[in-house]
Amino acid sequence: MTSLTRLALTSLVLTCALGPVPAAAQALPEPEGEVILTVTGAIETTNEGDAAAFDLDMLEALGPVTIRTTTIWTEGEQTFTGVPLVTLMEAVGAEGDVLSATAINDYAVEIPRDDWVEGGPIIAYLNNGSPMSVRDKGPLWVVYPFDDNTEYQTEVVYSRSIWQLDRIVVAE
Amino acid sequence: MSTTTAQEIAPRRTLWSRLSVVVTLLVFCFSTVAGMGWLVLREIDDLSTANSDNLQWSLAQVDVEFLQLEVALLEAERDPSLLPVVRRRFDIFYSRMSTLERGEVFRDMRENPDYDAPRANVRDFLDATVPLIDGPPEDLRAALPDLAREVGALTDDVRELSLAGLTSFAELSDARRDEVTTTLLVMAAVLALLLAGLSLLALSFRRLYRLSELRARDLRQTGARMQTIVETSVDAIVVSDKTGRIVDVNGAAVCTFGYPKSELIGRSALETLFPADIQPILRDDAMAAVAEGRRPRADRRVFESVAVTRDGRRFPAEMSIDRAEDESEVVYVAFVRDISRRKAAEEGLTEARDKALAGEKAKAEFLAVMSHEMRTPLNGLLGTMQLMRDHDLTERQTELLDRMVSSGRLLLGLVNDVLDLSKFEAGKLTAERRPFEIQRLLDGVIETTASLAASNGNALSWQWVGPPGRAVLGDSRLLRQVLLNLVGNAVKFTRGGTIDIEVEQIGDGDNSIEFRVIDSGVGIADGNLDRIFNDFETLDSSYSRQTGGTGLGLGIARRLVGLMGGEIGVESELGEGSLFWIRIPLDPVEDRPTPIPARDATAGEPSETPPGLSVLLVEDNEINRFVAREMLEAEGHVVTEAVNGRAGVEWAEARHFDAILMDISMPVMDGQDAARAIRAGAGPSATTPIIAVTAHALPDEIAKFRAAGMDGCISKPVDRALLASTLRDLARGGHGIEPAPSPDSVPLLDEAQFDSLRATIGPAHMAELIDRFVDELDAAIAALAAERPGKPDLGPRAHRCAGSCATLGLAAMRSALGRIETAARTGAVSADDLIALGPLWRRSRAALVDRAGRASAEHGEGGGESD
Repeated sequence: MTSLTRLALTSLVLTCALGPVPAAAQALPEPEGEVILTVTGAIETTNEGDAAAFDLDMLEALGPVTIRTTTIWTEGEQTFTGVPLVTLMEAVGAEGDVLSATAINDYAVEIPRDDWVEGGPIIAYLNNGSPMSVRDKGPLWVVYPFDDNTEYQTEVVYSRSIWQLDRIVVAE
Repeated sequence: MSTTTAQEIAPRRTLWSRLSVVVTLLVFCFSTVAGMGWLVLREIDDLSTANSDNLQWSLAQVDVEFLQLEVALLEAERDPSLLPVVRRRFDIFYSRMSTLERGEVFRDMRENPDYDAPRANVRDFLDATVPLIDGPPEDLRAALPDLAREVGALTDDVRELSLAGLTSFAELSDARRDEVTTTLLVMAAVLALLLAGLSLLALSFRRLYRLSELRARDLRQTGARMQTIVETSVDAIVVSDKTGRIVDVNGAAVCTFGYPKSELIGRSALETLFPADIQPILRDDAMAAVAEGRRPRADRRVFESVAVTRDGRRFPAEMSIDRAEDESEVVYVAFVRDISRRKAAEEGLTEARDKALAGEKAKAEFLAVMSHEMRTPLNGLLGTMQLMRDHDLTERQTELLDRMVSSGRLLLGLVNDVLDLSKFEAGKLTAERRPFEIQRLLDGVIETTASLAASNGNALSWQWVGPPGRAVLGDSRLLRQVLLNLVGNAVKFTRGGTIDIEVEQIGDGDNSIEFRVIDSGVGIADGNLDRIFNDFETLDSSYSRQTGGTGLGLGIARRLVGLMGGEIGVESELGEGSLFWIRIPLDPVEDRPTPIPARDATAGEPSETPPGLSVLLVEDNEINRFVAREMLEAEGHVVTEAVNGRAGVEWAEARHFDAILMDISMPVMDGQDAARAIRAGAGPSATTPIIAVTAHALPDEIAKFRAAGMDGCISKPVDRALLASTLRDLARGGHGIEPAPSPDSVPLLDEAQFDSLRATIGPAHMAELIDRFVDELDAAIAALAAERPGKPDLGPRAHRCAGSCATLGLAAMRSALGRIETAARTGAVSADDLIALGPLWRRSRAALVDRAGRASAEHGEGGGESD
């Protein structure tokens, strides 16, 4: 991904977030605060055209959970609070088998449907009870419960633990 | 048949040790594999829980994101609307650096100074820049050129940082690869070991397999051999299960019992093979073990019984039964052998043996009786010859008489030898233990043989070698007989020489005494030394004819010495002389006070008796005759003996006697008939007083005696004083008729009578008399006790014994025999009375021998005469 493309995409996202609310919004409310996550692709529920945009309040309303685990990128045990990936995918009526998640720093990774399960990864917005800034891998970070399930202690899963997440595209 | 033998134990032991080796090997392999597995699992675990992100990518991103920040700064300088992009890029770079600084996976790297120094520079820049970025846009915009310059200056640091990180990670990877390589190598080694172990295991299993195959072959062979053994056995072999049902039999069993094999299988062994009357016995005894399901006791495994065949023939069977068991089943194996023929042979043998023994015994008894019976007439002959000397004889007649006497004595000697031998063979001789003095014994021997020695011109003497001994315990009679024999031989084979008897105590623990009879006679050749103690051994027949002898003497001596527990031997040099020695264990008598000898008060008053009465003694019993004669001669009378009534009558018709002592019960002619004959005749003694001598002087009998013409009666045992006074009365013309009162209580031995007799005839004669008496009564009482009550000659036989007993003072015996004699007259003898004689005689004999022993100890009497 060239930096030009990255810039273009970033501009697009920013444009969408600041643009007028599309009428295609269905069960999802309109985001009132800053949009921090946009889901597009094979989804049934949208609130901004073909996309489902979420601000922090909307994510908090989806039934957050808190997990406790260590990670290889932090020191000591941490608590992470966020929306389980499976809840989010249900909320947007995802129909694909895989989703492509992209970060602010343009890091991108695919997460297969197998991971959208109860006890699976969450999209965390609180680390040790505090919101995460971009400098602290915020605002959203896909965290797997590494300590609870050793199957998640693999390079592949580590690579799926994307931080500074802001876009998800559900593939057909 | 046990298949476990000593040879099989050794291989079994090696098998065990081999098994233990295999087991050890297996355990080793398993533990190695387990250890290895653990190692590998850990490794896998390490690999599976990757603790690193895509590190190189992260490090590369540092560069990329730094460049993006730089680009954003440069663009923002041209276009201020791009300030948020600068902020975003700064935040992203900041976040990346935070991750490198705080993340667990980068911990190792942070300790590397090459990495840490540039990192610190970058951190300083970030910390310094944060206020600008977070500050108002105007300030940020103003600071953009400075920031761009600072970022440009940091480029080298960022590059160093990412390179150092990469190097560090490369080293980490190398280490990790090495670790994996080591693990794999160890695993390979373990696998090789495992393979080796498995190969060994396979080898050992192969060996085990071959071993068990060999063993199986052995077992098959053994089985086949056993089958052959069982089938070729002559004995019937029956195998039953634990309930006693037959499960197998061999061919011999089929032949023995006559059942086809198929018929035997499944039937009860006990009920099929044994007759009904034997079954309960077997069930309770020999086969009880089978019923109780245990092994028969060792002493019950072989036994004899009776078996029965199919057609009902019973036969004696020898059986051997035992239980064999293994894990799967229990069987009883019985061998049955038909021993009919053996039994028959055994019975035949037993019968033959019994017959032979009976014959032998009869022969020995015949010999004993004959010898005994021959002595009586011989004594008669010798006595008569002595009497002949009282008649006027020519010199020629005297010479002939001497020869007759010498021949008679020789004959008597032979008869005595044979009697001794036969008694010995019949087991009737036993050695006694009574105190006697060796000194007196040897004095007696010398005294007895002195005249014979003198007649051959021999000097005869004895002496102690070493300290003289005192009284000892032993059988003086047997010892004397042996010594007399040895001295007699020495005298016979020595002419004009010396005969020395040496006596020596060899008291090394067993208190033996050795007697040596040393002569200077003809000696014995070496080759003959072994033979001379055999029976009927006469070395030089011509010489022995000259010297006389049966050849039994030394044989008897050997037996007697053996009887006393001693030894006999000889050393000799032909022409120099012989040395016969005997060694007899003789314990010394402990010192004890010598009782004062009781003087018998029954000695009469000989001075008052007119001497010179001529007395005819008619008595069939030799001992009684001998005793009476001694008594009469001691009183100074002249005695003529007649052995029965007829002889008495003949004497009475031939000569005048002053008195006749007439026994009543006699063979040929009894006393009453004889008295009548004498009175009826006209001989010189027809009016001589006749005194009846009887053991059973009952009043009505005394009346009969008077009717027969007898003048008086004295009872047996003849009391010396009574006899003396009766004869005194006769000499004065009176007739003494007073039967001796019967004693109320009947002691075993009337000691007064015994002492009286002993005082009369002297200790030497007394001892001899007792010997002879005991010999005779032993035989006579044994014969009587075994007799059937109805035998007609019981009376006379009891009478003869009673007479002897009375003489010696055996009152109880005499009384018992008297009762039998009386009862025999009416034929009312009871078997009990006869049988009771045996024990009574034994007690009486003991009392007699005891009294005689005491008497000889008291007086120290020994000696006598013998052959």
